[in-house]
Amino acid sequence: MSLLEFDEVDKYFGETHVLKDVGLNVEEGEVCVIIGPSGSGKSTLLRCANRLEEIQDGEIRLEGTSISDPDADINRLRQRIGMVFQSFNLFPHKTAVENVTLAPTKVKGLKGDEAERRADELLDRVGLSAQADSYPNQLSGGQQQRVAIARALAMDPHVMLFDEVTSALDPELVGEVLEVMHDLADEGMTMLVVTHEMGFAREVGDRIVLMADGRVVEDSPPEVFFEDPRTDRGKQFLSKLL
Amino acid sequence: MAESYSEGRTRDGEYQEQFLNDKTLRRLGATIAGLFTLGVGGLVAVIIFTQVDFDLFREIIYPQFVEAFLRVLGIVLVGSLLSVTAGVIVGLGRVSNTRFTNAVATGYVEFFRGTPLLFQLLVIFTGIPAFWPPGQFPISEWAIPTAIIGLTLNHAAYVGEAVRGGIDAVPDGQMEAARSLGMSYVQGMREVVLPQAWRNALAAIGNDQVILVKDTSLLTVIAVPELISAFRNVNSATFDPWTPIILVAIAYLMITIPLGKVVSHLETRSDWGGDRR
Repeated sequence: MSLLEFDEVDKYFGETHVLKDVGLNVEEGEVCVIIGPSGSGKSTLLRCANRLEEIQDGEIRLEGTSISDPDADINRLRQRIGMVFQSFNLFPHKTAVENVTLAPTKVKGLKGDEAERRADELLDRVGLSAQADSYPNQLSGGQQQRVAIARALAMDPHVMLFDEVTSALDPELVGEVLEVMHDLADEGMTMLVVTHEMGFAREVGDRIVLMADGRVVEDSPPEVFFEDPRTDRGKQFLSKLL
Repeated sequence: MAESYSEGRTRDGEYQEQFLNDKTLRRLGATIAGLFTLGVGGLVAVIIFTQVDFDLFREIIYPQFVEAFLRVLGIVLVGSLLSVTAGVIVGLGRVSNTRFTNAVATGYVEFFRGTPLLFQLLVIFTGIPAFWPPGQFPISEWAIPTAIIGLTLNHAAYVGEAVRGGIDAVPDGQMEAARSLGMSYVQGMREVVLPQAWRNALAAIGNDQVILVKDTSLLTVIAVPELISAFRNVNSATFDPWTPIILVAIAYLMITIPLGKVVSHLETRSDWGGDRR
């Protein structure tokens, strides 16, 4: 049993068939990087993994439990799935530390000081101890995104989903966010990462999954994918990058 | 080329001032404002020195106007509290994904915004007691309850629309972030969406509550002894319009101006990390 399993997943937006029979297994401790042209369904796949989008056919399982089952206890399952968004989505009415403590106190019933101690640890880990009491609009994009990572980690997730988390950042701020993700990968976090950062994909990824037109078209280790892709779609995609 | 907004260019390339450039506009504005102030100030002076009867002023201010003022203030406080509370519920109904709930909330808003408050007051004032046999209606002082019910139901519709707009203005990503952390819809609404929606809706809600204050003037029709009734009593007894008019104006402004201040204070307070703080 893999940690996260996509089993013949089909997803439609109205008439548009955006995920076509997608199968993908993410093993524990693995960093799985999903790449592909825009509109290929990679973000949608990620959003289905914690049911921000419903699927129409197939099944998605986390540690053997169905996420896509209509009767699934989705609020409980989502606690095990951390998600970081392209647009940060920090809560603007709460300080950095309050962003991190909100869900642990409201969802897990952690005591205030306990949650705060944990939040301080996490903010320290992403290098933002000094900004704990700042509001999101007082932080740079890179800082906001690092708070968002700390916020997701505060629920002690078993897998982290990263949805193009550096795409909205100024180029000079991309590095600090990727660095935090790199550290997280080194610590053994299971990660499913949608990104356009090929350097990161190559260096940190254990697997490169190429999506095109709603399908997984290649699934290779990075040294294979970036040196000698197995499929024509892979070769085509790489040639456009260069 | 910043000047090109206020100046036109002639054919031979020289700049020529247009009739209405930035400087003349500024002067024109100040001139109009000055003339307006002069006119209003003069009119008020004329009224105070030639029209207001200060003996009558002292005579009617207490108890008649003070009582009317306190009555209006009480109705406003209760009506505000209830209409904002009910308005939040209406607003939540308007954004509900449950079709039935949504339809009921929409119907509510359509009816209470679509018919005049005066009509609604008459319905409650005359219609409800008609369910009892003549003379059997148990509430003898029905006018004040009518006022509070009518103002609440009517303004809940407007507040509800303001709240709906406030919720719609919160990006979808906020609820998604809350849900992705394992929070329920209710928790996401309460902890994340509504605090932001409230900030977004504050100006519109404040605006509506000022209108609620002024809407108490309609209560004169159902014989609530409020400020307009006080004016009519004095005016019909003395044929003096200006003395009670001044009192009515002061009384309304004593409620509406502080109300505006409260709203802008609340707006400043929810300017999270902004430079207004």
